[in-house]
Amino acid sequence: MLRFILIRLATAIPTLLGMSFVAFAIVALAPGDPVMMELRAMGIVPEPEDIAALKAQFGLDKAFLPRYLEWLSRAIRFEFGTSVATGRSVLSEIAIHLPATLALAGSALVGAVIISLALGTLAVTSNNVAGAGLRGFTILLVSIPSFWMALLLIHAFVLQLGWARLVGDGSAWDLVLPALTLSLGAGAALGRVVFERVRAEKSEDYVRLAIAKGLKPLPIMLGHIAPRIIGPLVTAWANTFGGLLGGAVIVESIFGWPGLGQLILQAISQRDFPVIQAYLVFMGLIFFVTSLLADIVVVLADPQLRRRLNGD
Amino acid sequence: MTERGLRIPALRLGLRGGTAGLILGLVLLTGFAAISLAPLIFELPPPEKMDLLARLAAPSSTHPLGADHLGRDVLSRLIAAIPVSLGAALMAMAAILMIALPWGLIAGLAGGRVDMVMMRLADIVMAFPTLVLALAVIGFMGASLEASIIGVAAAWWPSNARLVRALVLSAGQRDFVRAAYLGGASRLRVVLRHILPQVLPPLAVIISLETASVLLALSALSFLGIGAQPPTPEWGAMLNEARPFFAQAPHMLLAPGLAVTLAVLAFNLVGEGLRDLLDKREPYQW
Repeated sequence: MLRFILIRLATAIPTLLGMSFVAFAIVALAPGDPVMMELRAMGIVPEPEDIAALKAQFGLDKAFLPRYLEWLSRAIRFEFGTSVATGRSVLSEIAIHLPATLALAGSALVGAVIISLALGTLAVTSNNVAGAGLRGFTILLVSIPSFWMALLLIHAFVLQLGWARLVGDGSAWDLVLPALTLSLGAGAALGRVVFERVRAEKSEDYVRLAIAKGLKPLPIMLGHIAPRIIGPLVTAWANTFGGLLGGAVIVESIFGWPGLGQLILQAISQRDFPVIQAYLVFMGLIFFVTSLLADIVVVLADPQLRRRLNGD
Repeated sequence: MTERGLRIPALRLGLRGGTAGLILGLVLLTGFAAISLAPLIFELPPPEKMDLLARLAAPSSTHPLGADHLGRDVLSRLIAAIPVSLGAALMAMAAILMIALPWGLIAGLAGGRVDMVMMRLADIVMAFPTLVLALAVIGFMGASLEASIIGVAAAWWPSNARLVRALVLSAGQRDFVRAAYLGGASRLRVVLRHILPQVLPPLAVIISLETASVLLALSALSFLGIGAQPPTPEWGAMLNEARPFFAQAPHMLLAPGLAVTLAVLAFNLVGEGLRDLLDKREPYQW
């Protein structure tokens, strides 16, 4: 097992390097000269020698590759410089907002998993007519954009019923509505995965054998089908978590949840490149770790894979 | 199992084949196309025309869906947004396919080291959450509809390339493809005559479902104010403009949101319906 994790980490190094390169290249290739932009922001009419001196100071006079290596050596220590907009260090800005986004995405994932299992098993066990209705409902739920869902939920729960408030202080109660918004769509999408997986397994011969043996539906579902689908489901959960990290931006901006979404939208409008770069790197890393954990769970859950790993 | 004999054939076709969903989806899409032509036939106020006296007006005979905060007619803006919103999604999808199709085809057909390198490169882009990468691309290009299309295409192509590759690989393993090779058919002929026809139907499913997700992403970006810029009529952007008037004028929120939902639903229904038609598996019942 330990060997598998080590091998998996080793094969991840090229991917991580590639990710860092993408994050760097997007900035390096972005239109507009950062030095000129900063000078103009300070209201200075730049002389050519000033520009040259500033470029040397930021290391912009060097070639692409040395600049990347230098950036990488700092990025490994999580040093992304200072935010152009606020003048504070990018790392501290991220550190302030990251926990809120993780809490939102995490709780939305839990909600989505619960919703998906309920929807999926209902669709599998119900008869044809109800199953078709449930599938239609699932497709509808997937199709509703999260921002509209959020506005509808606000209309219902904040304006009409008054059960929740819009301007919160970041307490756990304020998390319910944003997390629900995110988890409804994600849960419906995952529910489709559950349904598809169970349906695929039900077409396999071992299920026919189990039916022929006289097993009841519940033991077949729990004892035969569930262990087979847990691996793919965990992978789907990890992918959903990545989607939720991105989707959080939309929901945070509507509910005023103090997460990274606010930071990144501000950074985009102010063209605050260091913040955008750090956001990309951190989100990429978190998603990467999630996928890694999912891979380990997949191996742990699959007896065939486990045996092959221990065997050779 | 007595109910099995009682099933009405038409109902059975609809439920089992997902055909009803497919037809509904196609009807919705045709409807959007037809409505986008409505200004040619009916008198509608231009989408940019401001009538400050009608600010936030509720639906009436002059403004069937009401007017927005600048007194612009919501219905005509909604219709004018059809080519913008759907066009953006289709353009993004075309860009995605332009990269993903050759990428997946070449990787799947070449195999070996070429395949490994190409898939590794796709994995690197896929390692970022899609919307996060799109945001970053927009951040460096500056907010505009074009930037959001490019951002979405940049983030969405690798997963599609992977799907195309998987389709090509499974198509290439069929016996009649091997037989064609043994029969001396050229590589090009095998690809065009035997592999592509197998790949196209499942590809149609993917394209339809992916267009739905691309449409969702693009309208979300416009809603965040970093996609289509005002005064361009776009459903997400219209919702964004309506946000401050949430309590005063709920009619401004209802119509654009419904339009996005129906358009996304249409693509999803078509994709799911096609998938059902292609799916020949029959689960064992107990």
